[in-house]
Amino acid sequence: MLAVSPKALGLPILENVSFLQFFTNSVLVALIVLGVILWVSRKATANMSLVPHKWQNFFELIVEFLYNQVESIVGKKMAPKAFPLLGTLFIFILISNWFGLLPGVGTIGWGEGTGPLSVSEVHEPLLRPATADLNMTFGLSVTAFLVWIYLTISEVGVWGFIVHTFGPKGGLKGLMGFVVALVFVFVGVIEVVSIFFRPVTLSFRLFGNVYAGENVLHTMSGMGGKIGSILAPFPFYFMELLVGLLQAIVFTLLCTVYIQLSTTHDDHGHDEEHH
Amino acid sequence: MDQIAGIADQIATQFGLDWWKFIAQVIIFLAVYGILKAKAFGPILSMLEQRKQRIADGEAKLEKIAKDLADAETNAKSIIDKANSEADRLIKDAGESAKSLADKKQQDAIHEAGQIMAKAREAAQLEHEQLMSQLKREFGRMVADATSRVTGKVLSADDQARLSKETAAQVSA
Repeated sequence: MLAVSPKALGLPILENVSFLQFFTNSVLVALIVLGVILWVSRKATANMSLVPHKWQNFFELIVEFLYNQVESIVGKKMAPKAFPLLGTLFIFILISNWFGLLPGVGTIGWGEGTGPLSVSEVHEPLLRPATADLNMTFGLSVTAFLVWIYLTISEVGVWGFIVHTFGPKGGLKGLMGFVVALVFVFVGVIEVVSIFFRPVTLSFRLFGNVYAGENVLHTMSGMGGKIGSILAPFPFYFMELLVGLLQAIVFTLLCTVYIQLSTTHDDHGHDEEHH
Repeated sequence: MDQIAGIADQIATQFGLDWWKFIAQVIIFLAVYGILKAKAFGPILSMLEQRKQRIADGEAKLEKIAKDLADAETNAKSIIDKANSEADRLIKDAGESAKSLADKKQQDAIHEAGQIMAKAREAAQLEHEQLMSQLKREFGRMVADATSRVTGKVLSADDQARLSKETAAQVSA
Protein backbone atom coordinates (compact mmCIF):
# COMPACT_ATOMS: atom_id res chain seq x y z
CA MET A 1 0.00 0.00 0.00
CA LEU A 2 1.28 3.41 -0.94
CA ALA A 3 0.82 6.19 1.53
CA VAL A 4 2.61 9.45 2.02
CA SER A 5 4.89 9.24 4.98
CA PRO A 6 5.02 12.28 7.24
CA LYS A 7 8.77 12.08 6.77
CA ALA A 8 8.22 12.87 3.13
CA LEU A 9 6.83 16.25 4.16
CA GLY A 10 9.19 19.08 3.42
CA LEU A 11 12.11 17.07 2.13
CA PRO A 12 14.91 19.26 0.75
CA ILE A 13 15.40 18.92 -3.01
CA LEU A 14 19.14 19.38 -2.67
CA GLU A 15 19.99 17.56 0.53
CA ASN A 16 23.73 18.02 0.11
CA VAL A 17 23.59 21.82 -0.06
CA SER A 18 23.35 22.94 3.55
CA PHE A 19 22.09 26.48 2.92
CA LEU A 20 19.30 25.23 0.66
CA GLN A 21 17.69 22.96 3.23
CA PHE A 22 14.62 25.21 3.19
CA PHE A 23 14.18 24.52 -0.55
CA THR A 24 11.86 21.53 -0.18
CA ASN A 25 9.58 19.72 -2.59
CA SER A 26 6.58 21.69 -1.32
CA VAL A 27 8.53 24.96 -1.61
CA LEU A 28 9.25 23.98 -5.21
CA VAL A 29 5.53 23.43 -5.83
CA ALA A 30 4.72 26.73 -4.09
CA LEU A 31 7.19 28.43 -6.46
CA ILE A 32 5.56 26.72 -9.43
CA VAL A 33 2.14 27.91 -8.18
CA LEU A 34 3.62 31.40 -7.79
CA GLY A 35 4.83 31.20 -11.40
CA VAL A 36 1.42 30.02 -12.64
CA ILE A 37 -0.35 32.86 -10.81
CA LEU A 38 2.19 35.39 -12.12
CA TRP A 39 1.76 34.10 -15.67
CA VAL A 40 -2.04 34.08 -15.55
CA SER A 41 -2.25 37.50 -13.90
CA ARG A 42 0.13 38.99 -16.47
CA LYS A 43 -1.81 37.38 -19.26
CA ALA A 44 -5.08 38.70 -17.82
CA THR A 45 -3.92 42.25 -17.22
CA ALA A 46 -1.91 42.75 -20.41
CA ASN A 47 -3.62 45.09 -22.90
CA MET A 48 -6.63 45.58 -20.67
CA SER A 49 -9.61 47.29 -22.21
CA LEU A 50 -13.23 48.06 -21.37
CA VAL A 51 -14.21 45.30 -23.78
CA PRO A 52 -12.27 42.46 -22.14
CA HIS A 53 -10.27 39.78 -23.93
CA LYS A 54 -10.86 36.18 -22.82
CA TRP A 55 -8.10 36.04 -20.17
CA GLN A 56 -9.12 39.40 -18.77
CA ASN A 57 -12.74 38.28 -18.78
CA PHE A 58 -11.88 35.08 -16.93
CA PHE A 59 -9.82 36.86 -14.28
CA GLU A 60 -12.39 39.63 -13.91
CA LEU A 61 -15.07 37.01 -13.32
CA ILE A 62 -13.07 35.48 -10.47
CA VAL A 63 -11.99 38.78 -8.93
CA GLU A 64 -15.46 40.31 -9.15
CA PHE A 65 -17.07 37.23 -7.62
CA LEU A 66 -14.55 37.10 -4.77
CA TYR A 67 -14.74 40.83 -4.15
CA ASN A 68 -18.54 40.77 -3.97
CA GLN A 69 -18.41 37.87 -1.51
CA VAL A 70 -15.84 39.64 0.68
CA GLU A 71 -17.77 42.91 0.49
CA SER A 72 -21.02 41.21 1.50
CA ILE A 73 -19.32 39.98 4.69
CA VAL A 74 -16.88 42.68 5.79
CA GLY A 75 -18.81 45.62 4.36
CA LYS A 76 -18.04 48.31 1.79
CA LYS A 77 -15.52 50.13 3.96
CA MET A 78 -13.30 47.18 4.88
CA ALA A 79 -13.56 45.33 1.57
CA PRO A 80 -10.86 47.31 -0.30
CA LYS A 81 -8.42 46.80 2.61
CA ALA A 82 -9.18 43.14 3.28
CA PHE A 83 -9.73 41.89 -0.26
CA PRO A 84 -6.10 41.67 -1.49
CA LEU A 85 -5.21 39.25 1.33
CA LEU A 86 -8.42 37.24 1.14
CA GLY A 87 -8.40 37.05 -2.65
CA THR A 88 -4.76 35.94 -2.63
CA LEU A 89 -5.46 33.33 0.04
CA PHE A 90 -8.33 31.83 -1.95
CA ILE A 91 -6.55 31.76 -5.30
CA PHE A 92 -3.26 30.48 -3.87
CA ILE A 93 -4.87 27.76 -1.73
CA LEU A 94 -7.18 26.64 -4.54
CA ILE A 95 -4.39 26.35 -7.10
CA SER A 96 -2.09 24.67 -4.57
CA ASN A 97 -4.79 22.17 -3.60
CA TRP A 98 -5.61 21.30 -7.18
CA PHE A 99 -1.95 21.22 -8.17
CA GLY A 100 -1.61 18.24 -5.81
CA LEU A 101 -4.02 16.29 -8.00
CA LEU A 102 -1.84 16.54 -11.08
CA PRO A 103 -0.25 13.27 -12.13
CA GLY A 104 3.33 13.03 -10.87
CA VAL A 105 2.87 15.17 -7.78
CA GLY A 106 3.77 12.88 -4.88
CA THR A 107 4.35 9.92 -7.18
CA ILE A 108 7.59 10.90 -8.91
CA GLY A 109 10.65 10.82 -6.72
CA TRP A 110 13.22 8.64 -5.12
CA GLY A 111 12.77 5.25 -3.41
CA GLU A 112 13.88 1.63 -3.58
CA GLY A 113 14.56 1.00 -7.24
CA THR A 114 12.84 -1.88 -9.02
CA GLY A 115 13.97 -1.00 -12.52
CA PRO A 116 15.69 1.73 -14.56
CA LEU A 117 12.92 4.28 -14.00
CA SER A 118 10.69 2.64 -11.37
CA VAL A 119 10.63 2.37 -7.60
CA SER A 120 8.58 0.13 -5.33
CA GLU A 121 7.54 3.06 -3.17
CA VAL A 122 8.31 6.77 -3.41
CA HIS A 123 9.99 7.78 -0.17
CA GLU A 124 11.22 11.17 -1.34
CA PRO A 125 8.80 12.73 -3.81
CA LEU A 126 10.07 15.44 -6.12
CA LEU A 127 6.86 17.44 -5.87
CA ARG A 128 4.42 17.72 -2.96
CA PRO A 129 1.27 19.83 -2.77
CA ALA A 130 2.25 23.07 -1.07
CA THR A 131 -0.80 22.94 1.18
CA ALA A 132 0.09 19.42 2.30
CA ASP A 133 3.06 20.99 4.10
CA LEU A 134 2.30 22.42 7.55
CA ASN A 135 5.00 25.04 7.02
CA MET A 136 2.94 26.50 4.20
CA THR A 137 -0.47 26.28 5.88
CA PHE A 138 0.95 27.69 9.11
CA GLY A 139 2.65 30.44 7.10
CA LEU A 140 -0.65 31.29 5.45
CA SER A 141 -2.54 31.37 8.72
CA VAL A 142 0.15 33.41 10.53
CA THR A 143 0.21 35.93 7.66
CA ALA A 144 -3.59 36.13 7.75
CA PHE A 145 -3.43 36.55 11.53
CA LEU A 146 -0.92 39.42 11.29
CA VAL A 147 -3.00 41.16 8.63
CA TRP A 148 -6.07 40.60 10.80
CA ILE A 149 -4.32 42.33 13.73
CA TYR A 150 -3.27 45.23 11.48
CA LEU A 151 -6.77 45.68 10.03
CA THR A 152 -8.43 45.41 13.43
CA ILE A 153 -6.13 47.91 15.15
CA SER A 154 -6.26 50.35 12.24
CA GLU A 155 -10.05 50.15 12.18
CA VAL A 156 -11.11 50.14 15.85
CA GLY A 157 -7.84 50.94 17.66
CA VAL A 158 -6.26 49.07 20.57
CA TRP A 159 -8.75 50.40 23.11
CA GLY A 160 -11.66 49.69 20.78
CA PHE A 161 -10.47 46.11 20.40
CA ILE A 162 -10.17 45.67 24.17
CA VAL A 163 -13.64 47.14 24.72
CA HIS A 164 -15.03 45.02 21.89
CA THR A 165 -13.51 41.85 23.40
CA PHE A 166 -13.97 42.39 27.14
CA GLY A 167 -16.66 45.06 27.30
CA PRO A 168 -20.08 44.09 28.68
CA LYS A 169 -23.00 44.20 26.26
CA GLY A 170 -26.65 44.75 27.04
CA GLY A 171 -26.36 48.01 28.97
CA LEU A 172 -27.32 46.54 32.38
CA LYS A 173 -26.65 48.71 35.45
CA GLY A 174 -26.12 48.07 39.14
CA LEU A 175 -25.31 44.66 40.60
CA MET A 176 -26.53 42.77 37.53
CA GLY A 177 -24.36 44.98 35.39
CA PHE A 178 -21.32 44.17 37.53
CA VAL A 179 -22.02 40.42 37.34
CA VAL A 180 -22.50 40.60 33.58
CA ALA A 181 -19.28 42.62 33.27
CA LEU A 182 -17.39 39.87 35.13
CA VAL A 183 -18.89 37.26 32.82
CA PHE A 184 -17.86 39.28 29.78
CA VAL A 185 -14.31 39.64 31.10
CA PHE A 186 -14.16 35.86 31.43
CA VAL A 187 -15.66 35.45 27.96
CA GLY A 188 -13.07 37.95 26.68
CA VAL A 189 -10.22 35.82 28.10
CA ILE A 190 -11.65 32.77 26.32
CA GLU A 191 -12.00 34.88 23.16
CA VAL A 192 -8.33 35.94 23.34
CA VAL A 193 -7.25 32.30 23.74
CA SER A 194 -9.42 31.31 20.77
CA ILE A 195 -7.96 34.19 18.74
CA PHE A 196 -4.43 32.97 19.40
CA PHE A 197 -5.47 29.45 18.46
CA ARG A 198 -6.90 30.57 15.13
CA PRO A 199 -3.61 30.19 13.19
CA VAL A 200 -3.25 26.68 14.61
CA THR A 201 -6.79 25.60 13.77
CA LEU A 202 -6.72 27.20 10.33
CA SER A 203 -3.38 25.66 9.41
CA PHE A 204 -4.12 22.17 10.75
CA ARG A 205 -7.56 22.05 9.12
CA LEU A 206 -6.15 22.84 5.69
CA PHE A 207 -3.07 20.69 6.12
CA GLY A 208 -5.10 17.76 7.49
CA ASN A 209 -7.63 17.81 4.66
CA VAL A 210 -5.12 18.08 1.83
CA TYR A 211 -2.69 15.61 3.41
CA ALA A 212 -5.52 13.14 4.06
CA GLY A 213 -6.78 13.54 0.50
CA GLU A 214 -3.32 12.90 -0.84
CA ASN A 215 -3.05 9.77 1.31
CA VAL A 216 -6.46 8.55 0.13
CA LEU A 217 -5.41 8.90 -3.50
CA HIS A 218 -2.08 7.15 -2.85
CA THR A 219 -3.79 4.34 -0.97
CA MET A 220 -6.39 3.88 -3.69
CA SER A 221 -3.67 3.89 -6.35
CA GLY A 222 -2.05 0.91 -4.63
CA MET A 223 -5.22 -1.19 -4.55
CA GLY A 224 -6.58 -3.82 -6.95
CA GLY A 225 -3.66 -4.44 -9.26
CA LYS A 226 -2.96 -2.48 -12.44
CA ILE A 227 -6.59 -1.87 -13.48
CA GLY A 228 -7.69 -1.26 -9.90
CA SER A 229 -4.92 1.30 -9.43
CA ILE A 230 -6.46 3.28 -12.28
CA LEU A 231 -10.14 2.80 -11.44
CA ALA A 232 -10.06 2.90 -7.62
CA PRO A 233 -8.76 6.47 -7.19
CA PHE A 234 -10.95 7.78 -10.02
CA PRO A 235 -14.00 8.82 -7.90
CA PHE A 236 -11.70 10.18 -5.23
CA TYR A 237 -10.14 12.62 -7.71
CA PHE A 238 -13.56 14.27 -8.07
CA MET A 239 -13.96 14.28 -4.30
CA GLU A 240 -10.51 15.86 -3.89
CA LEU A 241 -11.38 18.50 -6.49
CA LEU A 242 -14.36 19.37 -4.31
CA VAL A 243 -12.34 19.18 -1.09
CA GLY A 244 -9.66 21.44 -2.60
CA LEU A 245 -12.28 24.05 -3.48
CA LEU A 246 -14.08 23.62 -0.19
CA GLN A 247 -10.94 24.03 1.90
CA ALA A 248 -9.96 27.16 -0.02
CA ILE A 249 -13.44 28.53 0.65
CA VAL A 250 -13.38 27.51 4.34
CA PHE A 251 -9.96 29.06 4.99
CA THR A 252 -10.82 32.30 3.20
CA LEU A 253 -14.32 32.51 4.65
CA LEU A 254 -13.08 32.04 8.21
CA CYS A 255 -10.45 34.76 7.75
CA THR A 256 -13.15 37.02 6.30
CA VAL A 257 -15.47 36.36 9.22
CA TYR A 258 -12.64 36.99 11.73
CA ILE A 259 -11.99 40.37 10.09
CA GLN A 260 -15.70 41.18 10.03
CA LEU A 261 -16.18 40.27 13.70
CA SER A 262 -13.35 42.43 14.95
CA THR A 263 -13.81 45.44 12.68
CA THR A 264 -17.56 45.85 13.05
CA HIS A 265 -18.39 48.90 15.11
CA ASP A 266 -20.85 48.09 17.86
CA ASP A 267 -23.10 51.01 16.93
CA HIS A 268 -26.28 49.25 18.03
CA GLY A 269 -24.94 48.86 21.56
CA HIS A 270 -23.89 52.50 21.69
CA ASP A 271 -27.31 53.57 20.48
CA GLU A 272 -28.92 51.58 23.24
CA GLU A 273 -26.61 53.22 25.76
CA HIS A 274 -27.51 56.67 24.47
CA HIS A 275 -31.20 55.90 24.78
CA MET B 1 4.46 25.37 30.77
CA ASP B 2 7.51 23.30 29.88
CA GLN B 3 5.20 20.38 29.29
CA ILE B 4 3.10 22.41 26.83
CA ALA B 5 6.25 23.63 25.09
CA GLY B 6 7.46 20.03 24.90
CA ILE B 7 4.17 18.87 23.36
CA ALA B 8 4.25 21.76 20.88
CA ASP B 9 7.84 20.89 19.97
CA GLN B 10 6.90 17.26 19.54
CA ILE B 11 3.95 18.19 17.26
CA ALA B 12 6.14 20.56 15.28
CA THR B 13 8.77 17.87 14.76
CA GLN B 14 6.18 15.26 13.90
CA PHE B 15 4.57 17.46 11.26
CA GLY B 16 7.85 18.73 9.86
CA LEU B 17 7.61 22.32 11.08
CA ASP B 18 10.87 24.15 10.54
CA TRP B 19 11.54 27.88 10.86
CA TRP B 20 13.49 28.21 7.62
CA LYS B 21 10.95 26.27 5.62
CA PHE B 22 8.20 28.26 7.28
CA ILE B 23 9.89 31.56 6.40
CA ALA B 24 10.47 30.36 2.83
CA GLN B 25 6.78 29.54 2.45
CA VAL B 26 5.73 32.86 3.99
CA ILE B 27 8.03 34.72 1.59
CA ILE B 28 6.53 32.84 -1.35
CA PHE B 29 3.02 33.64 -0.19
CA LEU B 30 3.93 37.31 0.34
CA ALA B 31 5.35 37.34 -3.19
CA VAL B 32 2.05 35.95 -4.51
CA TYR B 33 0.21 38.54 -2.41
CA GLY B 34 2.37 41.37 -3.78
CA ILE B 35 2.06 40.21 -7.37
CA LEU B 36 -1.69 39.75 -7.22
CA LYS B 37 -2.26 43.01 -5.37
CA ALA B 38 -0.12 45.12 -7.67
CA LYS B 39 -0.49 43.39 -11.01
CA ALA B 40 -3.92 41.80 -10.88
CA PHE B 41 -6.35 42.97 -8.23
CA GLY B 42 -5.47 46.65 -8.58
CA PRO B 43 -5.86 46.90 -12.37
CA ILE B 44 -8.80 44.48 -12.48
CA LEU B 45 -10.73 46.26 -9.71
CA SER B 46 -9.92 49.61 -11.29
CA MET B 47 -11.19 48.30 -14.65
CA LEU B 48 -14.33 46.91 -13.01
CA GLU B 49 -14.92 50.24 -11.29
CA GLN B 50 -14.34 52.07 -14.58
CA ARG B 51 -16.79 49.78 -16.36
CA LYS B 52 -19.33 50.11 -13.55
CA GLN B 53 -18.96 53.90 -13.78
CA ARG B 54 -19.35 53.75 -17.55
CA ILE B 55 -22.50 51.63 -17.21
CA ALA B 56 -23.87 53.95 -14.52
CA ASP B 57 -23.12 56.96 -16.74
CA GLY B 58 -24.79 55.22 -19.66
CA GLU B 59 -27.81 54.41 -17.55
CA ALA B 60 -27.96 57.99 -16.29
CA LYS B 61 -27.65 59.30 -19.85
CA LEU B 62 -30.32 56.89 -21.03
CA GLU B 63 -32.58 58.02 -18.22
CA LYS B 64 -31.87 61.66 -19.06
CA ILE B 65 -32.54 61.02 -22.75
CA ALA B 66 -35.81 59.27 -21.90
CA LYS B 67 -36.75 62.16 -19.61
CA ASP B 68 -35.75 64.73 -22.26
CA LEU B 69 -37.75 62.79 -24.84
CA ALA B 70 -40.78 62.72 -22.57
CA ASP B 71 -40.30 66.44 -21.86
CA ALA B 72 -39.90 67.15 -25.57
CA GLU B 73 -43.01 65.15 -26.35
CA THR B 74 -44.94 67.00 -23.66
CA ASN B 75 -43.50 70.26 -24.93
CA ALA B 76 -44.34 69.43 -28.53
CA LYS B 77 -47.85 68.41 -27.52
CA SER B 78 -48.37 71.61 -25.57
CA ILE B 79 -46.96 73.65 -28.50
CA ILE B 80 -49.23 71.81 -30.94
CA ASP B 81 -52.20 72.28 -28.61
CA LYS B 82 -51.34 75.94 -28.23
CA ALA B 83 -50.90 76.32 -31.99
CA ASN B 84 -54.19 74.53 -32.59
CA SER B 85 -56.05 76.75 -30.17
CA GLU B 86 -54.32 79.82 -31.64
CA ALA B 87 -55.22 78.68 -35.15
CA ASP B 88 -58.81 78.09 -34.07
CA ARG B 89 -58.88 81.52 -32.51
CA LEU B 90 -57.36 83.10 -35.63
CA ILE B 91 -59.80 81.29 -37.90
CA LYS B 92 -62.67 82.37 -35.69
CA ASP B 93 -61.34 85.94 -35.57
CA ALA B 94 -60.79 85.91 -39.31
CA GLY B 95 -64.32 84.61 -39.84
CA GLU B 96 -65.73 87.25 -37.56
CA SER B 97 -63.56 89.91 -39.12
CA ALA B 98 -64.53 88.82 -42.62
CA LYS B 99 -68.21 88.83 -41.68
CA SER B 100 -67.89 92.23 -40.07
CA LEU B 101 -65.94 93.56 -43.08
CA ALA B 102 -68.50 92.14 -45.48
CA ASP B 103 -71.29 93.74 -43.46
CA LYS B 104 -69.40 97.02 -43.36
CA LYS B 105 -68.68 96.85 -47.09
CA GLN B 106 -72.30 96.03 -47.76
CA GLN B 107 -73.40 98.96 -45.62
CA ASP B 108 -70.88 101.19 -47.33
CA ALA B 109 -72.04 99.97 -50.74
CA ILE B 110 -75.68 100.58 -49.78
CA HIS B 111 -74.80 103.96 -48.43
CA GLU B 112 -72.72 104.80 -51.46
CA ALA B 113 -75.46 103.55 -53.77
CA GLY B 114 -77.92 105.74 -51.85
CA GLN B 115 -75.62 108.69 -52.24
CA ILE B 116 -75.13 107.99 -55.93
CA MET B 117 -78.88 107.68 -56.35
CA ALA B 118 -79.45 110.92 -54.45
CA LYS B 119 -76.81 112.70 -56.46
CA ALA B 120 -78.24 111.35 -59.71
CA ARG B 121 -81.66 112.37 -58.59
CA GLU B 122 -80.40 115.85 -57.72
CA ALA B 123 -78.52 116.08 -60.99
CA ALA B 124 -81.63 115.00 -62.93
CA GLN B 125 -83.75 117.47 -60.99
CA LEU B 126 -81.27 120.22 -61.63
CA GLU B 127 -81.04 119.40 -65.31
CA HIS B 128 -84.82 119.21 -65.44
CA GLU B 129 -85.08 122.57 -63.81
CA GLN B 130 -82.47 124.05 -66.11
CA LEU B 131 -84.25 122.63 -69.15
CA MET B 132 -87.56 123.90 -67.83
CA SER B 133 -86.02 127.28 -67.20
CA GLN B 134 -84.44 127.35 -70.64
CA LEU B 135 -87.71 126.14 -72.14
CA LYS B 136 -89.65 128.87 -70.36
CA ARG B 137 -87.22 131.48 -71.47
CA GLU B 138 -87.33 130.21 -75.03
CA PHE B 139 -91.12 129.91 -74.88
CA GLY B 140 -91.42 133.41 -73.45
CA ARG B 141 -89.18 134.76 -76.19
CA MET B 142 -91.23 132.90 -78.81
CA VAL B 143 -94.50 134.20 -77.29
CA ALA B 144 -93.09 137.71 -77.22
CA ASP B 145 -91.90 137.32 -80.77
CA ALA B 146 -95.25 135.91 -81.86
CA THR B 147 -97.06 138.65 -80.07
CA SER B 148 -94.88 141.23 -81.69
CA ARG B 149 -95.54 139.80 -85.07
CA VAL B 150 -99.26 139.40 -84.50
CA THR B 151 -99.67 142.88 -83.09
CA GLY B 152 -97.11 144.45 -85.40
CA LYS B 153 -95.77 146.37 -82.63
CA VAL B 154 -92.34 146.47 -81.31
CA LEU B 155 -92.47 145.38 -77.73
CA SER B 156 -90.40 147.13 -75.18
CA ALA B 157 -88.02 145.34 -72.99
CA ASP B 158 -90.44 145.61 -70.10
CA ASP B 159 -93.23 144.16 -72.18
CA GLN B 160 -91.06 141.36 -73.31
CA ALA B 161 -89.99 140.63 -69.72
CA ARG B 162 -93.61 140.77 -68.51
CA LEU B 163 -94.78 138.47 -71.34
CA SER B 164 -91.98 136.02 -70.69
CA LYS B 165 -92.76 136.02 -67.02
CA GLU B 166 -96.47 135.43 -67.58
CA THR B 167 -95.78 132.71 -70.12
CA ALA B 168 -93.36 131.04 -67.83
CA ALA B 169 -95.89 131.20 -65.01
CA GLN B 170 -98.57 129.67 -67.22
CA VAL B 171 -96.20 126.96 -68.55
CA SER B 172 -95.20 126.07 -64.99
CA ALA B 173 -98.87 125.81 -64.03
